[in-house]
Amino acid sequence: MVGLFDRAFKGSDEMYALAEKALAEALATHDESTPAVFPNTAYYAACIYEYTGIKVMTLGDLKSAMEPIRAMMTRNYRTHDVFTSGIATAMAAEVIELCKYLDTDTPYNGEYHGHMNDAEVRELGVPLVTRDIPGFVVIIGPAPSEEEAEALIKGYQSRGIFVFLIGGIIDQAKNRKLSMGFPVRIVPVGPDIWCASHIISLVMRAAMIFGAIGPNQYDEMNKYTFERIFAFVNAFDPVDDLTIACGACAIALGFPVITNDTKDMWRVPKTLIIQEDTKDWIETSLEARDIKIKVTNIDIPVSYSSAFEGEIIRRPDMQVEIDGSRKDCFELCITKEAHEVEDHKIEVIGPDFDEIPVGSKMCAAIIAEVAGKSMQSDFESVFERKFHTFVNCMEGIMHTGQRDLIRIRVSKNAYEAGFRIRHIGEVLYAKLKNEYAAVIDKCQVKIYTSTDELHDLRKMANEIYDKRDERLAGLTDENVDQFYTCILCQSFSPSHVCIVTPERLGLCGAVSWLDAKATNELDANGPSQVVTKERVIDENVGSWEDVNEAVAKYSRGALERVTLYSIMEDPMTSCGCFECICGIEPFSNGVIIVNREHTGMTPLGMTFSEMASMTGGGVQTPGFMGHGKHFIASKKFMKAEGGVARIVWMPKALKETVRDRLNATAMELYGIENFCDMIGDEESCGNGDPEELVNFLSETGHPALAMDPMM
Amino acid sequence: MPLTKTSQKFNASINAFTIGTGDKAVTMGGENVLPFYTFDAPIENAPKIGAEISDLGMDKNVPGIRDYYAGAEDFTELARRASAIPGVDFIAFALDAADPNGEDRSVEECVEECKQVAEGTDLPIVIIGSKGIEKNETLFDKVADALSGKNVLLMSAREENYKTIAASAGLAYSQKIGAESAVDINLAKQLNVIISQMGVKPQSIAMNVGAASAGYGFEYVVSTMERVKMAALQQNDNMLQMPIVTPVADEVWNVKEAVVSEEDIPEWGPQEERGIQMEVVTASACLASGSNAVILRHPASIAAVSKMIRELI
Repeated sequence: MVGLFDRAFKGSDEMYALAEKALAEALATHDESTPAVFPNTAYYAACIYEYTGIKVMTLGDLKSAMEPIRAMMTRNYRTHDVFTSGIATAMAAEVIELCKYLDTDTPYNGEYHGHMNDAEVRELGVPLVTRDIPGFVVIIGPAPSEEEAEALIKGYQSRGIFVFLIGGIIDQAKNRKLSMGFPVRIVPVGPDIWCASHIISLVMRAAMIFGAIGPNQYDEMNKYTFERIFAFVNAFDPVDDLTIACGACAIALGFPVITNDTKDMWRVPKTLIIQEDTKDWIETSLEARDIKIKVTNIDIPVSYSSAFEGEIIRRPDMQVEIDGSRKDCFELCITKEAHEVEDHKIEVIGPDFDEIPVGSKMCAAIIAEVAGKSMQSDFESVFERKFHTFVNCMEGIMHTGQRDLIRIRVSKNAYEAGFRIRHIGEVLYAKLKNEYAAVIDKCQVKIYTSTDELHDLRKMANEIYDKRDERLAGLTDENVDQFYTCILCQSFSPSHVCIVTPERLGLCGAVSWLDAKATNELDANGPSQVVTKERVIDENVGSWEDVNEAVAKYSRGALERVTLYSIMEDPMTSCGCFECICGIEPFSNGVIIVNREHTGMTPLGMTFSEMASMTGGGVQTPGFMGHGKHFIASKKFMKAEGGVARIVWMPKALKETVRDRLNATAMELYGIENFCDMIGDEESCGNGDPEELVNFLSETGHPALAMDPMM
Repeated sequence: MPLTKTSQKFNASINAFTIGTGDKAVTMGGENVLPFYTFDAPIENAPKIGAEISDLGMDKNVPGIRDYYAGAEDFTELARRASAIPGVDFIAFALDAADPNGEDRSVEECVEECKQVAEGTDLPIVIIGSKGIEKNETLFDKVADALSGKNVLLMSAREENYKTIAASAGLAYSQKIGAESAVDINLAKQLNVIISQMGVKPQSIAMNVGAASAGYGFEYVVSTMERVKMAALQQNDNMLQMPIVTPVADEVWNVKEAVVSEEDIPEWGPQEERGIQMEVVTASACLASGSNAVILRHPASIAAVSKMIRELI
């Protein structure tokens, strides 16, 4: 590395000498009181102002800056010396450039852009801060060929990256008749490497304007530029010492340098990257600077809107149908390594709609492969479940089902408008990238449509689904480190906080632990926040100090304690969205559960809505609790009071929905077979009379009758 | 038994928030007690009133408004008249005509109008954007530039467009930003958090936590404001300590009580009277629930509400 340091130091010395020379020449013809300012800026010579605090107004001021600049060119062979020397290089370069502006505001006569005024800094700064412009590149070159120069520039332009050009690449771009200027986001800065100081000046001013960084704030400045300004450098072979010294400045500010020069060059991971294949520069650069490109428009021949979500395609209007109930079909979202995914690659393997007879069924596997630093395989199923909505929002396309039971119908109109199977890939790509930008860095879609491959592929998919189900089944409250809050409903139920655990999903039934986990990852300030579970109070009733603190915090003090597994002691509150309510039934020592869809009477003498009015609104009513359907078969259901064995009555329809899972739970917990048959319903207990219920329970030998009283 | 009064002042306070410059600058917030609880601790900055004027011209159907602004040919004169209403603390200029689904007036024209308004008043200026959420991004960007140095408040930045507004108006031009959310304390807080994360100081943010006309779901507004204030004061939640500015006029002058003519429903009495009552009732309820400023339209409402504030503080 000493070699690299030496080259940077040498380049820095060279730049300083050039600055001294430029200054001496200027002083030979001008006196020290000559104004020395860039046009239309309130930040003086911004690099010099930031790092020395000197407000350069005259040639005399500029001269006085030379010593402080040299003072930063320390030579102790630590990284810090290279960084400060790099910054001194940029300041020396600024001296050279400022000398050109002594007699004129337009030293480059429009041929090059040179200095950028404050208005331009704001114009570029706003979209840079909002990330509407995802970042900017400084290309220093000439490229090996004009064609390559054009391809690189246009590649960045098409991704919305702002491009600054320095050196020979400007003439190459001109020869290729590329239109350039601030509005098209390609700016030819200047012919020489010291013109890079104009870009550093822009960075300095952006940080001062948008980050409130003041002069002489070395650490704050470099932290701000690293965290907030998404810039990087592409330097073509050959890279001389001057350029290396300027590169050191870029790196000090957090901007990686990518080059194809291999002579006397040293790789520094994520910082100084040697990529000999310049065709890969865009991808390498974006990855190095953590830049994600937003997809702004979806390239499909039909309209896309939530208005089309409910659209039904009838058989006579149908061009083709992907039908999982008859053919091998499935959709899948899987995580891959970053290098395995080529962003925005849409591959169709097999026949397209053209080759399928009108009105017939075809097979298809739609696989979205995603990669990202924050991606977790737990999110796959959360994202995959959204495919339904994503695909359904296309005009003329209908999607139902999930996994290997999907059905996608394409209307004749959509087909005639040019809709082909790859467009499903385009939509999935765009939606996944946009909605889950926080975790998905890259995405590619593969669509298989030939019968011979699909059988095996489906088997592979089913193995993945099975594995996911196993993971879900294996997820227990004990084997995770954290729960999540959900406070989505506080807009109408201010004091309610759901604590979502693997074995207790949100009471609305719509937010599982995995959903909450994904929500937290995607929206750090959103409704789902992490709740640790380190300080247990009583594991049997499900109380933790951490959980109580979270409930107190997120209910804003309205609630101080909840238990997760008890309905008698501090039961969890409800917003009002509960799928079901369970309530204590005193005659049988048990509880009844009634679901929202059930309009009839219950053995408590209350209907669902009557019970709802005393359960919702974020209040704790011991003996009553709102919950999701899925929770009924959980081993944590009323665990503190003895678990599911307490369930004595449910509407028939609800019982059928949970039968298999509930029977399995009862078998596992108590060794009871066909437990659901012991539970009363509106038929076995026709007039909702508690005595009739107790009689029925005695006949079936329901375990609740023999249990301790709940009150 | 003697009654011992205990003071309910809190250890936290609402941010003091200043708009405008010079003598006429207006500061709202700063209090460490609930609205109008001057018996607990003095409230230094009484709630403020803004007079709303629109770039679509003033309402011709309400005689009191029509006559007051009669003959005002340009926005400079409109602003001058509005500033002259007794009790007005700031001018709220609504860029209604910019609405892409309405007149779709160009950004350049709107900027020109704002400059005219600025010429007509030395009171602080609040700019109320159009209904076009996307358009407000460029609109506020240019207006913030044109009114640079005037310390104006731009209403409003919402979840969909806060980035550009925060970066441009908030950071590049150091103006004040109104964060608008829809009657939900968590959304209000979240928006304040993400705007702050852009680098805008909490002291440069005001909130519009949502408004409604009295009788139109207004209890949600009351509950939200109340909880925002309790969180700010009792729990010292610094992401909810921004003062609340509530545009009341736009809500009340569109409900049927203010719109239906006397001919259609004679038993309701004079139309204008009803509109004023709706405006006064809604505004006073907002102030009692936690608004640090309200934006009103009718000179009579402004007179009534400013009298109320004077007598209570």
